[in-house]
Amino acid sequence: MKLRRIHDWLWEIPREGGMKVPGRVYSDGPPAPDDPALAQVANVAHLPGIVKWSLAMPDIHWGYGFPIGGVAAVDLERGAISPGGVGYDINCGVRVISTRLEAERVLERRHEVTAELYRTIPTGVGASAAIPRLSPREMDEVLSRGARWGASRGYAAASDDLDHCEEGGCLAGADPSLVSERARQRGADQLGTLGSGNHFLEVDRVAEVYDEAVAAAYGLRPGEVAIQIHSGSRGLGYQVCDEALADLTPQMARYGPDYAALPDPQLACAPIESPAGRRYLGAMQAAANFAWANRQVMTGLAVQALCRSLAAPEGDVGARLLYDVCHNVAKFEEHVVDGQPRRLLVHRKGATRAFGPGDPRVPAAYRAVGQPVLIPGDMGRYSYVLAGTAAAMEETFGSSCHGAGRLLSRHQAMKLARGRSIHRELLDRGIEVISRGKKTLAEEMSDAYKDVARVVGVVASAGLSRRVARLEPMGVIKG
Amino acid sequence: MRYELPQPYQELSHTADTGIAAEGATREEALARLVLALGALLAGGGSVTPDVEETVVGAGGADLAQTAVAALREVLFRFATRQVVPGACEVLSLSPGRAELRIAFGRFDPARHREGADVKAVTYHRARFEPVPGGWRAQVILDV
Repeated sequence: MKLRRIHDWLWEIPREGGMKVPGRVYSDGPPAPDDPALAQVANVAHLPGIVKWSLAMPDIHWGYGFPIGGVAAVDLERGAISPGGVGYDINCGVRVISTRLEAERVLERRHEVTAELYRTIPTGVGASAAIPRLSPREMDEVLSRGARWGASRGYAAASDDLDHCEEGGCLAGADPSLVSERARQRGADQLGTLGSGNHFLEVDRVAEVYDEAVAAAYGLRPGEVAIQIHSGSRGLGYQVCDEALADLTPQMARYGPDYAALPDPQLACAPIESPAGRRYLGAMQAAANFAWANRQVMTGLAVQALCRSLAAPEGDVGARLLYDVCHNVAKFEEHVVDGQPRRLLVHRKGATRAFGPGDPRVPAAYRAVGQPVLIPGDMGRYSYVLAGTAAAMEETFGSSCHGAGRLLSRHQAMKLARGRSIHRELLDRGIEVISRGKKTLAEEMSDAYKDVARVVGVVASAGLSRRVARLEPMGVIKG
Repeated sequence: MRYELPQPYQELSHTADTGIAAEGATREEALARLVLALGALLAGGGSVTPDVEETVVGAGGADLAQTAVAALREVLFRFATRQVVPGACEVLSLSPGRAELRIAFGRFDPARHREGADVKAVTYHRARFEPVPGGWRAQVILDV
């Protein structure tokens, strides 16, 4: 793989063969040319209608079809929508809930707090029954209304939660009738559940503030407690993606030579305005709403659990949704391209929207400072709250990284953990972790991930986001 | 021929996810072992006691690899919605575009199977079904 240095933090894969645009990779050094994720960046550059670049954030790693950490914006008339550019976990995302609790208060009762969260929010394989199973009518409402459904049922941190979600916690255009019976079956009893793998719920403390003015606007104060949730659309979203890939893969050639020549079947896609494209789009938007409802329900459950475990009234806890971002999604957005405003479909697969100051799509409370960008690390170290920038709007369609990025495969991590107690190691570092099994802890240990500080260092140095605060875990629940 | 857990399979390293591969003297044996490899992952190595048997059809796909993906997707859907794990499998027929399998499922037990993987999906990524010396080899990458 040829690579050309653009500047210290950006490398280009020159356009060649069937690539329609160059690839661009944000990295703090030359990326390893044999990294299979780079080939995926080049593959994505073959997508019909792709605009400017196939982008890779510094947490890029090998996915299927798209790399994880990939961004591709496509033209609405000539462009394709790709389920692989969204991923199986549609609208997987992160939210941070700030509180007015002093960390010391939680530290004293760390075990009780974590245990109560674990009891309240089902985790792991087949996790279900956080709330009563949804009726078909309720499912339609969830798929149409997203986080609004959860908030309307009383699952909320505060009354302004919806103002602090990307897209207000609901994608317009969602069509519940396009979500199959099978997908509904997979999701009907999973609302309010965390899942497993890299999904988590953490009780964090604000360990360091880098930008006091922005942190103040976000409601973050050093030494206070925040809750962080990472989860998505659970089985419903997986099924929507699965069915779309099965639908689109055999049809590719009918859309013309550009589609037939795509280098990887997981890049299966369809013209946005084709019947198959519209079907996937409407179902994907509905699944995205399911994910928002899921995180909203977990927010309400988590705040209740926090209050119970500390015997504290809600007023004392002072919970407030700081922000909710999705990092696996495709959305219609307006961006300035070569000086002209254009409406595009932006795929972010393992990348976070990071709109800068002054953008009308950023909530009014944060508009002067830029959108909160929530970047989880690993369960043994730290996570970051960043702010979007004007540079991100110019260079990456308003996108930034989404996490640490894996360093080791799950298999390698299991080998490295042999003979160790990850639970004990975390306890020794002051972190209470409760998980269903030991395997998850081994697969998700810090050694398996890049240091998120380094990833954040790249996006900060490249100007794609600004550091605002660092969060450190005190209690973690995992699937 | 009917195959029961445990059967030999290989776990493949993939950065964020995991893969499984299985070999057999025939195409049918390779697919049956691949289905049971998925069962072994879902059960986290715990034993599975089959108590219900049914015919599963994997339809679609342009080649054997994609048809194997379709068959495993059917198994995964049953796991996701009914919490059942394949414990025995016989491939009744297999051709590009259609696989018919007779599978005996056992119930997922959260205690016995606590180390089981939460598999989101069976992907087309690097899906293979190809002849190797002495028989056939099938592999898929799973999103976990």
